[in-house]
Amino acid sequence: MEKFSHEQYVILKALASLEDEIGIGDLSAQLGVDQALVAAGAHLLAERGLLEIRELPLQELILRDGGRAAVTEGLPERRVLAALLDAGTPLTMQQLPERSGLTTREVGSSLRHLQHKGWARKAGATLEARVPESPPPTADEQLLSTLAEREGGRAFEGQLREAGVPVAEGLKLLKGRRELLEQRAKRRRLVRLSETGRALLARGIEEAREVGQITPEILAAGEWREVLFKAYDVHLGVRARIPGKGHPMQRVIAQTRRAFLEMGFTEAISPSVESAFWNFDALFQPQDHPAREMQDTFYLSAPPGVALPRDDGLVERVRRTHEDGGETGSIGWQRPWSAQRAAAAVLRTHTTATTVRALAADPHPPRKIFSIGRVFRREAIDFKHLPVFHQVDGIIIDRAATFANLLGTLAAFYRKMGFERFEFRPAFFPYTEPSVEVFIWVPEKKDWFEMGGAGIFRPEVTQPLGCASPVLAWGLGLERLAMLRYDLLDMRALYLTDLEWLKEVPLCR
Amino acid sequence: MPVIGIPLRRLRELLGESGGGGVSAEELVERLGHLGCDVEGTTELQRVRCSACGAIYEMTATEEVPPRCEACGAELRGGHERLAPLEVIRMELLAVRPDMFDPGGLARVLRGYLGVETGRPDYPLGEPAAEVTVDAALRDPASYRPQIACAVIEDVDLDEGALKILMKLQENLHWAIGRDRKHASIGVYDFDRVEPQIEYVAEDPEQFRFRPLGAAPSDRSQRLHEILQTHPKGMAYAHLLAAHQRYPLLRDAAGVVLSMPPIINSEETRVRSSTRRLFIDVTGMRRRVVERTLNIVVTSLLENLRGARAATVRVRDADGERLTPDFTPQEAWVDAHHAARILGIELSPAEAADALRRMRHDVTEAEDGRLRVAVPAYRNDILHEIDLIEDIAIAYGYHRIIPTLVPTFTVGEEHPLEATAQSARALLCGLGFLEVMTLVLTSDEAHDELLGWEPDPRRVQIANPISREQTRVRTSLLPGLLATLRHNATRPLPQMIFEVGDVSLLDPQAETGARELRRLACGIVSPRTGFEEIKAVAEAILREFAREAELTPSMRAPLMRGRAAEAPGGRASDPNLFFGEVHPEVLERYGLQNPAVLLEVDLDWLSGEPEGGRADGNAAARVTDRGGGEVP
Repeated sequence: MEKFSHEQYVILKALASLEDEIGIGDLSAQLGVDQALVAAGAHLLAERGLLEIRELPLQELILRDGGRAAVTEGLPERRVLAALLDAGTPLTMQQLPERSGLTTREVGSSLRHLQHKGWARKAGATLEARVPESPPPTADEQLLSTLAEREGGRAFEGQLREAGVPVAEGLKLLKGRRELLEQRAKRRRLVRLSETGRALLARGIEEAREVGQITPEILAAGEWREVLFKAYDVHLGVRARIPGKGHPMQRVIAQTRRAFLEMGFTEAISPSVESAFWNFDALFQPQDHPAREMQDTFYLSAPPGVALPRDDGLVERVRRTHEDGGETGSIGWQRPWSAQRAAAAVLRTHTTATTVRALAADPHPPRKIFSIGRVFRREAIDFKHLPVFHQVDGIIIDRAATFANLLGTLAAFYRKMGFERFEFRPAFFPYTEPSVEVFIWVPEKKDWFEMGGAGIFRPEVTQPLGCASPVLAWGLGLERLAMLRYDLLDMRALYLTDLEWLKEVPLCR
Repeated sequence: MPVIGIPLRRLRELLGESGGGGVSAEELVERLGHLGCDVEGTTELQRVRCSACGAIYEMTATEEVPPRCEACGAELRGGHERLAPLEVIRMELLAVRPDMFDPGGLARVLRGYLGVETGRPDYPLGEPAAEVTVDAALRDPASYRPQIACAVIEDVDLDEGALKILMKLQENLHWAIGRDRKHASIGVYDFDRVEPQIEYVAEDPEQFRFRPLGAAPSDRSQRLHEILQTHPKGMAYAHLLAAHQRYPLLRDAAGVVLSMPPIINSEETRVRSSTRRLFIDVTGMRRRVVERTLNIVVTSLLENLRGARAATVRVRDADGERLTPDFTPQEAWVDAHHAARILGIELSPAEAADALRRMRHDVTEAEDGRLRVAVPAYRNDILHEIDLIEDIAIAYGYHRIIPTLVPTFTVGEEHPLEATAQSARALLCGLGFLEVMTLVLTSDEAHDELLGWEPDPRRVQIANPISREQTRVRTSLLPGLLATLRHNATRPLPQMIFEVGDVSLLDPQAETGARELRRLACGIVSPRTGFEEIKAVAEAILREFAREAELTPSMRAPLMRGRAAEAPGGRASDPNLFFGEVHPEVLERYGLQNPAVLLEVDLDWLSGEPEGGRADGNAAARVTDRGGGEVP
């Protein structure tokens, strides 16, 4: 036999004997069970299809404090009329408050009703009565006084109409007088057994104890077979749980790492404190290049400098390449190269310093290297500039590498990052040739965004390091990817973190 | 990069009907993009002319007329005349292609790219029209700027637009090649106002005087050093001469001053729309730079001023005598097969030759796909065969290259330290902490004072900081965590945050003079947090990294004595791990009204990296050597 909680059991039993539908309130009264419990029980039974609920819209009228006062002391317009009839002569507006016992404001707002009901009219600065004696109660007064008799000062429109109160007329007169009466839209719910419910009852039902929680005791005693578990409201609000989460920028970094690892790249790292030699000179960046100036690069006072590589041959090859091209077939920059400038300590301005070190450490193909790291530019902080940001650099050392392969690798990477359209535009960098700038199309912004530079390392870079193969190279910014993904307009939000933002940003985006 | 506005109408005129002058602005913008120009789009510029000196100012719709004229210093807001607005293509200057800074130069490139006019442009040079004698004293470091190259341009017809183009070209070349006039500066004069015998001399700034550009008819001449102190251009560039005892000066046989390079021209030789013959000089430190710059100015002017002709100038200095400008092409060789191979495209030697001609080179095909290239004298950027291969790629069109992948198989490998860092992140996320990233650049005040630390003598310091807030690199992650907590002081509790990041410490043994250490730090703010909670976190970290540590009480700020612990480290005085309750005094300084606990641990130590291994800061060792993929 099917088990039901006490309330549901008595509801079903009560309905079994009724052909007609019955209101929840009436049912509650009949059962002697609290109306809220009956309503909840009926609702759950209806969800199971055991009974049918029909809803009727109802208008409930509730007397407010102003209405109660009007019933005991009379509506303001009636009190004003009484004062006029008492005086037997028109009264000025100044006289009325005292005579009627109303406030000036109440007198003022009663004028509209006096004129509308035809009880009095304005004559110059005075008000004069238009009726010889106080008229019988009007529809609004009847409505209010009937309500005052009801419990809680409230009743449904239908009930009042049945009781012979001129409800429609009364409401019309009371329109806009919210201080007297409140109207509330309500529903009256009528229930009756469904066919399914009737069939179930025919098979027989029994009453069982209802419990809220599965407990070890209930499980141990096997009691769960007997009891009924309370059903939850699935819309119930619950306390938020926030998981530990990686920082959005780190998620972009992690995705970038994974992309290059998946493509067969080996990861390299190197320190942020770097020599100008590895940051600039090994990359054939001329010593008077604007990017090397104090204005753009952070130079260090501690450490005051960085020793040049111990490999004198390497330093000499770099020097000659700068001055006249050395063995590289280039004419070089045609100006003297200073070892002292190369020994300056800087905060690296790009992670190409890392990949070129990796190239120097082992220039033999085939190799694919990538490095993700912080880089430093001497920029004042604003919404789109930070002096520290992240780059991913990569190189491919391969005898057969081509410029088309470079474009293909960049396209594969950005596809892995979720972008579908790319554009490659010619660009100019001191250490790559041919050079290219990568743009990605962001459909949400309907615009192209520049992501970074790439190219084939110049022979002036590779040959002094002992590399005879083509080296494809790129350096791409990562903050812009994060800003696009998380729809940030201000780059500072990444590093001056609002913890609430961290909690809100979905992990999977 | 500075942005230039190329007048659209003039560019179209210069291109001519057959040269693409008839195409839409959008198409021109697209083609310029294919050539590597960073084009912002087209816009309309407002133009005003200085009533005093005639200088023209161009402004976008949102810009205002400058208060004073930069050329002559006159009041400009009141003293100007409005000219018709100008539709321009706005683009960033392409620093490596100074031959593309002006409408004439751009038209020259576009005509080639579109195949309307290919090969090297020919600029005939007339007989020497002037002589310049260089005073040997200019080689003396006391006076400096020994190199000069000059040219004369005849039959010029200058309208307002052309004058403006001339001024802009000069200004942009000063920026791109001259490095703000230091390496090269350009002067342009009315040649009819001077004798063709010219001297380039070093003069005493206290004695010599002349009337600088912008001087009113009533103004007296000024001493050279006065000009540096009072003239707007003099003040702007005074630093280039201030250290010298004598200043360079260009004057003719009759004593008429042309200019004081690299500062200012004389009023007497001012170029006006009525000027018919121009004298041009470029001065600087190195002959190659000076001569290349002259080639660019002269050929660009010839492109802009159709119908004008150039004549040479005889320059005499201690090295002898020569004629400038010299448009002899630079000779170079390209292997067309190599070009096709490195670009990864199908391209015959004839097609490669055609591409180079479209980039305005002359090409002769030799055997085996070898191409002999004559590079125009205005190109400043061809150092190596590879530069010409890039020209081939641009003429071919980057958009036509089909992206492919390198066919060689390699096995990827992550760096062990990064792998450790990822494990640490996963662990802290699992413990319920939110990851933050804080700024690595900081100041002694922000990093040490609030925590009650003495600044670490081993900190990395910046010689040229950009702000007082960022003068050094952090030596700990804790100041960043505390700053983040302060930033979130009014946000709901509990707050649990962590960071994995690098700190830097000076170390004379390290290759770059500083050692970089990967650290993990975390913190909790909550009304009920305390030593036990952070110790449980510390133990979880140790357990998951299979590490054991001998704990001793810690007396380190910002933690409270008796409520903190550490695992002493091998190196110097840094513990490998320390954690505990933050001292209420520190909480107060950070505006935190709830208890907080902190932990910092060295990741190298945690992952069991041997001391003195990667951690010795040897950068070469930190670069991963051979990875996978070296299967023979």
